[in-house]
Amino acid sequence: MTTRITIDPVTRLEGHGRIDIFLNDQGRVENAYFQIPELRGFEQFCVGRMAEEMPVITNRICGVCPEAHHLAATKALDGVFGAEPTSVAKKLRETLYMAFFVTDHTTHFYALGGPDFIVGPDAPPLERNILGVARKVGLEVAGEVIACRKRNHEIISFLGGKSIHPVAGVPGGWSRAITPEERAQIEDTARKNIEFARFSLDIFEKIVLKNPVYREMVTSDTYLHRTYSMGTVDADNRTNFYDGMIRVVDPEGNEFVKYHPAAYGEHIAERVEAWTYLKYPYLKKVGWKGLTDGMESGVYTATPLSRLNVSEGVATPLANAEYQRMYETFGCKKVTADRYQPIHHRLATHWARLIELLYASERMLELAIDPELTSPETRNIPDPARFTGEGVGSVEAPRGTLTHHYVTNERGVLTKVNMIVGTTNNYAPISMSIKRAAEKLITTAAPEEAILNRIEMAFRLYDPCFSCATHFLPGKMPLTVSLRDSRGELLREMRRKG
Amino acid sequence: MRGEGTVIIGMGNPQLSDDGVGIVVARAVGERLKQRMHLTVTELHTGGIRLMEAMAGFNRAVVVDAMVSGAAPGTLHRFDPEDFITTKNTFSSHDTDFATAYELGRMAGVHLPEQFSFWGIEVREFDLFGEKLTDEVAAAVSGAVDHIVAQMVEWEGTA
Repeated sequence: MTTRITIDPVTRLEGHGRIDIFLNDQGRVENAYFQIPELRGFEQFCVGRMAEEMPVITNRICGVCPEAHHLAATKALDGVFGAEPTSVAKKLRETLYMAFFVTDHTTHFYALGGPDFIVGPDAPPLERNILGVARKVGLEVAGEVIACRKRNHEIISFLGGKSIHPVAGVPGGWSRAITPEERAQIEDTARKNIEFARFSLDIFEKIVLKNPVYREMVTSDTYLHRTYSMGTVDADNRTNFYDGMIRVVDPEGNEFVKYHPAAYGEHIAERVEAWTYLKYPYLKKVGWKGLTDGMESGVYTATPLSRLNVSEGVATPLANAEYQRMYETFGCKKVTADRYQPIHHRLATHWARLIELLYASERMLELAIDPELTSPETRNIPDPARFTGEGVGSVEAPRGTLTHHYVTNERGVLTKVNMIVGTTNNYAPISMSIKRAAEKLITTAAPEEAILNRIEMAFRLYDPCFSCATHFLPGKMPLTVSLRDSRGELLREMRRKG
Repeated sequence: MRGEGTVIIGMGNPQLSDDGVGIVVARAVGERLKQRMHLTVTELHTGGIRLMEAMAGFNRAVVVDAMVSGAAPGTLHRFDPEDFITTKNTFSSHDTDFATAYELGRMAGVHLPEQFSFWGIEVREFDLFGEKLTDEVAAAVSGAVDHIVAQMVEWEGTA
């Protein structure tokens, strides 16, 4: 018999995710999982529509990463219509995507991940937020974060044709060219982004790595899981967020497989456990062994850290230097000329995210100074003779590999739609990290607030996205942990104070 | 830095059934008042810092969103800024709650409204893909528009 504990950190009013923890008769944590209630009826909503609508429909699935859905959908349409995008179209898409990555990773670090390290994991919740970060680092950081978001949102608006929900992606290309003035604005923005990313890494160095307590927290084995790592790589096997092959390395760092995103069905399967309806994706050719790590378990991770784990160095110079520093800090040995043994310490994902912030900024500059960027040749008009009726589009979303798969009839009307979104990839490792935190929860006398935050830290590092609507109205009990014995008797209840 | 005018922000996802009711109401309010005042209508999908940014440069902000509190679908709720100040730990999926975002904006020197009203419309179907409101919620739209218009006209009178 198992006992179920429910942690409901979010009312329906604000995003919505929930944590369930099961104890066995011995009072030990048997299982823990993070549950994201799924939206219903998406496939029915899409089937019967023209495939061309997908980039605009799917970019509304999630309020946090519309750009990722827009690009994955547009790439899937390239496949459906058999239309290879022009060279500049790919560059414009990637430029928009880098601007998006900069805003997304910046927001995560300063508003979500950073407060635990910069203000402290045991600081009161009223201080452990982005305002606390600004008070600790300097008030000007508030202006820097807002300015960073603003300048990149401007790029996304004019490149994407609309603010927040881009509309410019079309099969075979991009619906608008940019002017020389716009190119100059992108270049200026990219240069500022690079400075800002370096500034952010500098904060991480000074406040986290130089503090023995925090350094210990990042490098400790609290959330250590030796899983497979996944990420998209370019022709040189270096991380790329917009396009490439999917590379998976095993827990020791050997390449396990590299496949075209369209072959995802051969490599990824989903497992439903008896105690939850949640589907856990895993590596089909390794097999499902439950929520466990190691070479024999098909559990994999798709995060900023896993992307660096599969990459032969980073393609841009400043980010590559930071990449080397991180792996050397962890004492990882090189497995190839440019790549190290994987890091499995999950809190290092925050550090990896900042390295990706720098990479996205440098990559944006490379694209901005490419003379081709203002070319008017933004589209190959699809040739009906090349129509295929099936396409898979894949990008690295900030929170993991995102895959869209569409099948249409001969008129381009959708008959099948499938997606694996970024956060879904990480359901198993997120659950494993929460279990670790929960194990500490039941064997410690730590203050409630600290325990609650340790559990939140476990899922926060994965930057999970709760998709869909976000509601503003005040929630009364954002985080409640009920601890029950195997007969269901309440042992302890913790509730974060409002 | 002085701001000007009023922004009405409809929040939600128009592809998730009743979740899009805030957008429907905000558009209708904009339509009713466009001759009468300088009003900007904005649609927003996510809260937190984005919501604060959507208010930047305005003197007044009205926010309309779907909500679930257990009341009958279609019920209109009004909230004051104080409701947010006291619940700083409301969870937001990707960044922070509105009260923190507002303070962040202030800290960063962003011009933000001093006057707000927040409206929630109780919904029934919010996690099912669809472009239609349920009957109860659709029936409540015009009443919600009347209330919000009346409140905004009252603001105008006190300007």
